[in-house]
Amino acid sequence: MFFALLFVIWAWAVSVSSAEGFAMVAECMQGWVGKLIAIGTVSAFTYHLLGGLRHMVMDMGHWEELQSGNNSAKAIIALWVVLTVVVGVVLW
Amino acid sequence: MVTNQASLKRDGVQDYISLRTTAVIIAAFGLYMAWFFITTPSITFDVWQGLFSGLGMKVFTLAALVSIMIHVRIGLWQVLTDYVKPAGARGLIQYALNLIAFAYVAVGLFVLWGV
Repeated sequence: MFFALLFVIWAWAVSVSSAEGFAMVAECMQGWVGKLIAIGTVSAFTYHLLGGLRHMVMDMGHWEELQSGNNSAKAIIALWVVLTVVVGVVLW
Repeated sequence: MVTNQASLKRDGVQDYISLRTTAVIIAAFGLYMAWFFITTPSITFDVWQGLFSGLGMKVFTLAALVSIMIHVRIGLWQVLTDYVKPAGARGLIQYALNLIAFAYVAVGLFVLWGV
């Protein structure tokens, strides 16, 4: 995800600095490369965010037994897959 | 020995706190941007630049970038200490990655400066 940020920061810097830059980035985003990087980054971030939120809950002492830990893990993975599919539909 | 606050030396508790506090800021920024993309049907250059022209958004964006730098420093340290056992190599990788993380902040700052 750290390397995905390379593309995100570059695209943001270029697109916000000038109209030509914005047009170029917008055009990249129409192509499948832009969309692939976008969905990869968004999907990775979603997974990281969900996992992080789960960890925050665990910090407060919940979901620490085998059963509850397992179930919460499966729950966020399911949610992650659903969200990634939604983003895929939106992008394509 | 009293903890010398002047030094940059951190301990596990500070990293534990920093990781989570920066995560909250990054999550807030990420969710805000997601909400922006969802609720803005057609994004033109003026709309996109307008988003980042306000002072509040500039501060928020910079705060997110700095948070990412701190989050990455701690997070990547945890990953590297798990997987890269030779200290020399690990030190080199950490140096390179943290430099890139700082570059993200610098790029963000100067881009925001010009908006």
